Amino acid sequence: MLWLFSFLLLALLGAVQALSSSGSRLLVVLEELSEKDKYSQFLGDLEARGFHVRVESPKSEGVALFKHGERAYDHVLLLPGKSKGLGPALSPGNILEFMKKEGNILVTLSPDHATPTSIVSTLLELGIHLPADRNSLVIDHFNYDSASAPENHDVLLVPYPAPLRYDVRNYFMGPPDGVIAVPRAVGQTLGNDSPLLAPILRAPKTAYSYNPKDEADAVEDPFATGEQLNLVSALQAHNSARLVVLGSAEMLQNKWFGAKAELAGKPVTTANRDFVMKVSGWTFKEVGVLKVGNLQHYLDEGDVKKVINTSAFAAPEDNPTIYRIKSDVTFNVEISEWRGDHYGPFMIPQRDALQLEFSMLSPFHRIGLYPEARTHNSTIYSAHFKTPDQHGIFNFRVNYRRPFLTNVDEKRQVTVRHFAHDEWPRSFQISGAWPWISGIWVTVAGWLAFLAVWLYSAPTDKKVAVKKTQ
Amino acid sequence: MRFSHSLLSCLLVSVAQAASAWSFEDATLAVQSKGAGVGAGTKEKLSPSSPLSKLVSLGGSDTLKVLLTATEDQKAKRPHQAFLTLSDPTTGVEESFVFMVKDNGKGKVELTHKDLPIQFLTASKPIPASIVIGSFGSSQPYKNQVFELTIARDPNVPLAAPEKAERYAAAEEIHHIFKADPKSPPKIITLVFSGAVVAALPILLGVWATLGANANHLGKALGKAPMSHALFFGSIAAMEGIFFMYYTSWNLFQTLPAAALVGVVAFLSGSRALSEVQQRRLDGLR
Repeated sequence: MLWLFSFLLLALLGAVQALSSSGSRLLVVLEELSEKDKYSQFLGDLEARGFHVRVESPKSEGVALFKHGERAYDHVLLLPGKSKGLGPALSPGNILEFMKKEGNILVTLSPDHATPTSIVSTLLELGIHLPADRNSLVIDHFNYDSASAPENHDVLLVPYPAPLRYDVRNYFMGPPDGVIAVPRAVGQTLGNDSPLLAPILRAPKTAYSYNPKDEADAVEDPFATGEQLNLVSALQAHNSARLVVLGSAEMLQNKWFGAKAELAGKPVTTANRDFVMKVSGWTFKEVGVLKVGNLQHYLDEGDVKKVINTSAFAAPEDNPTIYRIKSDVTFNVEISEWRGDHYGPFMIPQRDALQLEFSMLSPFHRIGLYPEARTHNSTIYSAHFKTPDQHGIFNFRVNYRRPFLTNVDEKRQVTVRHFAHDEWPRSFQISGAWPWISGIWVTVAGWLAFLAVWLYSAPTDKKVAVKKTQ
Repeated sequence: MRFSHSLLSCLLVSVAQAASAWSFEDATLAVQSKGAGVGAGTKEKLSPSSPLSKLVSLGGSDTLKVLLTATEDQKAKRPHQAFLTLSDPTTGVEESFVFMVKDNGKGKVELTHKDLPIQFLTASKPIPASIVIGSFGSSQPYKNQVFELTIARDPNVPLAAPEKAERYAAAEEIHHIFKADPKSPPKIITLVFSGAVVAALPILLGVWATLGANANHLGKALGKAPMSHALFFGSIAAMEGIFFMYYTSWNLFQTLPAAALVGVVAFLSGSRALSEVQQRRLDGLR
């Protein structure tokens, strides 16, 4: 009976699997539960994507991020509220602890409600700077919605973001004529030192941040201007936990999903529904998630060549622990990318490179890994190289960190020994040695010939004649 | 009816746009060197409609000063936003400098090398500078390129470039070799010299032959002490064979017993064989 029950439970669990690769429990922190209706479409979309959404007020008990020392939720969405603090459950320490346990957080900001100090200080620690004036918002006199903000210019209409770099895949791409409404956004700037930070959506070139409470008629010392201002920014920690700051919480509201807006006299429909789906999808690990499968390395010399193991992840690694210097080695690594409900083959972006390092303290070799085979749910990348001419303890290392992709860092330690006495090339294989070798054997032959002559030569007349002349 | 309505609205829009637009007038650009008197240095007039044809050069001790009067519909007015925006097209770096605008619309901005980010100071191409003027309401904002800036830098003054921040990207490939493999000379040279070495043997034998070397007493020697001579010469040849085996395949533990055995044979047979040779000498046959 019990097994039947557990079987049923398993089947049920399987049926409601989320699109996220890391779990479906989503906590939405919202102070005024009455405001829930404003976000109903967004929350409905999340539920349709398999998330178990639980909306809680920051003061309630259900907002505790941990239960019995483990994460109680997989993802957290923080919506702005009136109160200045978020309560003890959402202290900076707890938020960081949540991320340390690989929980993902989507923080939304609003200039109408001062951002809680705990959020500001947490973001500051991570290198995301918010304006000092809590009421600052981003305006742009060029790209605003003249239908809803003809006077204040604080509803920005921006196109979908371009790729961050030429070698980074754009997970937030949309149609070229798509327009995203960013109403009353709090701009962020990113610290330059951290490679973990990446902008998702930048403000237009002519935008700037200002405080509407400021009495001055003209902006004199803006927090930031132009593309240095981020409307949406992302952080991916070393453990691949993700934190996204969405400058405008209003972007998620129903009224901006497919809203009619007007950009420079032209009517447009906002694509917010699609864009926030992409942003939340990335935050909650529906996309950009990599997994390393089987990892193989072997000596690739002579006739004995191993066939690439095309079986799935569970195949055992058959890897020697010792190699000799200057020997040919093949290294294979299987990498998959999460595809919503299963892992599929991962292809590196066009102008990017997946690299293998063979290192002792520092890399001796750093070479490209190229796709050599593909299975149903992975791509096998391979590299062929010669071990260095130095013995020691080496590591095969694949350290693939790119913006918007979870981190891959795999290491396998091997010993590289020097030549054994009988492994050196024989002297006759070295062409430069041939005169010396022939010298030895000519001497041997000459010695035998001399011996024969010395032992068996009969005296001749000539010798006598020579003696006589003396 | 509808046509006239849309025409009307069209007209209204264009009228409204034409009626209120931000711009600027009386704009001057001056580059002044430190220590130079007032009036020294370059001075140019800026036009809101067309960029300055000359490049503006900013030296290390110079100050670039832009003065303008912001206008809305040709009337001087204070805008909310008045920026001088420099953007480097190669690196994509952009920096805006805010005009200090008074109530009467007169604005001023000053620039020196200290205000510029490092990317501008090291830029190889001229940096386009635009003026952005905009404010709330329906007036059209203004944005146009007004001049191009070149940075004249003293090459002798080192630039305190900040260390390049780490970004996750593919790194340079490394193929490190401590010591390259030793190389042999061209094979043709090796073969010529090997040939010379090998040719030395027939030449040696030939010279011996001309000097009268022969093996005529072989029969005599074998006749007198057949066992000793066969064993002695055979054991010496065998010793060379053992060396050959050691060179090609044997290890030391195979070589030593064989060498010992052959050595004993050579010692024992040699004493007899050499006695025979001595006998021939005493007989005057050598």
